Amino acid sequence: MPAARRPPRVAASRPVLRVGRFVSLPVSSRGVAVAAIALLVLLAVSVATLTAGRLGLPLAGLLPALVSDPGSAEGFVLSRLRAPRLVVGIAAGAALGVSGALFQTVTRNPLGSPDVIGIGIGAGAGAAAFGLLWPGIVPLPVGALIGAGVAIGLVWIGTGRGFSSPSRVILTGIGVSAMGAAFVQYGIARAGREEATVLAAYLSGSLASRSWQDAAIIWSSLVLLLPLALLLGTRLRLIEMGDETADALGARSNTTRVLSIVIAVGLSAAAVSVAGPVAFVALAAPQVAKRLARAPGAAIVLSAVVGAVMLCVADLLVQQAPFGVQLPVGVITAAVGGVYLGYLLISEFKKGTM
Amino acid sequence: MAAARPGGSSGRGPARTSRLWAGLLVAAGVLVVVALLSLSVGSKAIPLPEVWSSLVNPGTGYSDVVVASRIPRTILGVLVGAALAVSGVIMQGLTRNPLGDPGLLGVNVGAAASIVTAAAFFGAGSLATSVWVALPGAFLAVVVVFLIGSAGRGSNLVRLVLAGAVVTAVIAAYIQAVTLSLPDVFDSYRYWVVGSLAGRDPALALQIAPFIVVGLLLAVWIAPALNAVALGDETATALGVNTVTVRLIGAVATTVLCAAATAAVGPIGFVGLAVPHIVRGFTGPDHRWLVAYSALLGPVLLLVADVVGRAIVSPQELMVGVVTAFIGAPVLLVVVRRMRGAA
Repeated sequence: MPAARRPPRVAASRPVLRVGRFVSLPVSSRGVAVAAIALLVLLAVSVATLTAGRLGLPLAGLLPALVSDPGSAEGFVLSRLRAPRLVVGIAAGAALGVSGALFQTVTRNPLGSPDVIGIGIGAGAGAAAFGLLWPGIVPLPVGALIGAGVAIGLVWIGTGRGFSSPSRVILTGIGVSAMGAAFVQYGIARAGREEATVLAAYLSGSLASRSWQDAAIIWSSLVLLLPLALLLGTRLRLIEMGDETADALGARSNTTRVLSIVIAVGLSAAAVSVAGPVAFVALAAPQVAKRLARAPGAAIVLSAVVGAVMLCVADLLVQQAPFGVQLPVGVITAAVGGVYLGYLLISEFKKGTM
Repeated sequence: MAAARPGGSSGRGPARTSRLWAGLLVAAGVLVVVALLSLSVGSKAIPLPEVWSSLVNPGTGYSDVVVASRIPRTILGVLVGAALAVSGVIMQGLTRNPLGDPGLLGVNVGAAASIVTAAAFFGAGSLATSVWVALPGAFLAVVVVFLIGSAGRGSNLVRLVLAGAVVTAVIAAYIQAVTLSLPDVFDSYRYWVVGSLAGRDPALALQIAPFIVVGLLLAVWIAPALNAVALGDETATALGVNTVTVRLIGAVATTVLCAAATAAVGPIGFVGLAVPHIVRGFTGPDHRWLVAYSALLGPVLLLVADVVGRAIVSPQELMVGVVTAFIGAPVLLVVVRRMRGAA
């Protein structure tokens, strides 16, 4: 009989964050490190946004300017032009990132995204309807929200099975988007030239002329919905393994899916109502976040930070780029995001996972 | 080359064929009626007998002038409707899926992009609507979509649609960037992009007619081969059909038809999706009959949409592109709902 051996040392389990008696969250050290780096990048981009260009504040004077009102010109640039835009951009990017992460996890499909189910173009149609055709009934963001809701409802009815079948959702979403696009183009063609240009910019997602009210809307939505998304974290990690396995392990897959989609739609609708339908951030940010985190699960916090970085970088480019006219930020995200998505599609098709 | 002639779901052989020929005559009759309707309805409604007499004995009275002004629009509607519907038949035959629509694969957007590019960088700021200008963009879009969608093993419709959505988004971003930077281009673009039969230069119909005729002839030529392709690539090859050539010719025909239609009236979607689908219920899967019926019923759908657009908000007009989107998209939704096994 072999001599009694000491029990083998258990491999170090994942570090756990404990707060008091009630909070105990497993934490991935790599995830935390990457999130910290991403936050630093976000800070750098924010500083760059506030200081770059002809109208930018000087770097040395930035901190004092944030604390106290520095006087007419700089105060105007800070409090009316750049700061609200930056603040809205951070929150909208975060909301889009989280929304995309939730969608992709519950559909188990890297292309699941609020973009393809018509939220964005529904918001555009709502903006066209309540901004141009029947102005004055509701404020524009509310109109955009209504349009987004109608689009989602149509997709839900149109698939015949709710959101459970990704291919059907994609096809139906494309049909609904086409209707929305036709409506929007009709609105633009009917409108006067000034309004048409403003509306056309809104349709592609723009952060121009955002106000502190918009910032309040998006930040309150984010503060409300992000913790809810985090609470679903464990269940989402289980859902990745398949519905039966998840159910056997106690994550009620149907309930989780419905909750996740509701939260994702809420976040996406909030982002769309303040920034318009910014393309592809909701699709690309979670993918980048997953590749950086290399951990199972939805990487919600990291998706939020990456989404915020993406949108702010795109906005910085748009503000400082040497075009004659300031383009809407959605044009950049669509172009870059589209190319990235094409690359993603090709690699997914080659792997045969689609 | 064995051309598949199915026995059909109802009736056999000769009885079925004569039924189809009779149906074709009925379709032609319906087209004539709808064309006359298109000449009659509008902000100034002209009763049909007057329309007929104005066509037979053209005079210079008020109603004659009105009818004469609607003739180019109707002719354009017939040409464009036929082009879009037949290109839909080809696309559905090539992808073996009843949801194929050339618009979903980015052809229309590609044509729009090259037209906008020409207007912005080479033109005088107004949209040059020559078909030669629209063709390069349309071909480029189709090629890129097929390249992305066919990466890896084979391609099914969802992959192509996804690739089409991506390419459409990128091209649309480019169009946005150009039009928002150049206000004159934006102004002409926003009227053009809705897709309308109204206000188009009458000479356009003459200009696009050769392209559409060529496209239709190509479609008729490969229709029997499409019947074989519908049985699967291996079976088609065993039957002596060169699937690569058929795909190539089909893609060329689709692109030419769509580019010509888009160049003339702007991007109009869903005609290519809805018409073959409706027609297939009557004719069955034989592509020769599908092409023939679609060439007649496509114009019917488009002209009906145009008439509806004129009648609904009279005396103003709703552009035909908007009406087809709102008719065709629900058709797509209904089809998707009824799809089985497409999880």
